[in-house]
Amino acid sequence: MANVASLRPEADQKPIAIPGQPDMWVLVMVEALTFSAYFVVYIVWRMRHPELYLESQAHLSRELGVADTLILLTSSWSIARCVQRARAGEYQAALYSVFLTMGLGVLFAGAKLYEWVSKIQSGMYFTTNGFFSFYYFLTGMHLLHVLVGFIVLGVVVYQLKSPTRQNQEVIETGATYWHMVDFLWMIIFALLYLMR
Amino acid sequence: MSITPTTRLTLTWFALVAVTLLSWWIGTRHGEAPFVPSAALSLGVLVISAVKVRMILREFMEVRHAPGLLRRVTDGWLALLFVAMIAAHLLGDR
Repeated sequence: MANVASLRPEADQKPIAIPGQPDMWVLVMVEALTFSAYFVVYIVWRMRHPELYLESQAHLSRELGVADTLILLTSSWSIARCVQRARAGEYQAALYSVFLTMGLGVLFAGAKLYEWVSKIQSGMYFTTNGFFSFYYFLTGMHLLHVLVGFIVLGVVVYQLKSPTRQNQEVIETGATYWHMVDFLWMIIFALLYLMR
Repeated sequence: MSITPTTRLTLTWFALVAVTLLSWWIGTRHGEAPFVPSAALSLGVLVISAVKVRMILREFMEVRHAPGLLRRVTDGWLALLFVAMIAAHLLGDR
């Protein structure tokens, strides 16, 4: 795949190629399937105790959930811009895009910690009920992937910093991971904050 | 008229923000009693999230330009997940 990817002449005339390393796509699909199992189990449990889940959900701030979503969507846009800029040879601009992604990632993690602390202070713990177990588990597993994402973005920064590296395939691989963190949150947001 | 990849990316971002705000509006428009069970609302927000995931995959992750296998695998996963979630919801609702 590397030789195909390096042949890309223009950003808008891309030949058919897997973005980044195929191994990352295997990981993305394994993670997607694992989270899929959590999501379906969540709905099954939710349907068994609908009142309890609705009542518990009322304690979450939908505004904060929307803010989290907008932050991650923007971070995803920014890392996609990074890929485009690196492809065009604009490595300095690409670096700014990764830093923006990282900054938004920190903001997201901060918002999540703030939310957890405010819930714990209001007496809502992992063991409070089924909904809150799922809430802490799903957001916790997701945040763990955000934290791993910082290491992945660090690798992208390392690639972009030196003219001797700047490997487009590695940059795309890092971006693919970060987008996975983004799309998993889209489903978590719908399940925890919006479903009735 | 052809749009540049940069413009396309930004338009995708706008669309994703718009559908997020739409799903928020759907979830809050009941006013005083937002926390009543609603299968229609649940299905609505689930479908919107599926659309968002597909947009992220195709546009941001460039699956649109990827080999057919990757397009089929990602679409297959997404379809499977949402059919399973909606089935779990509808079966549990009876």
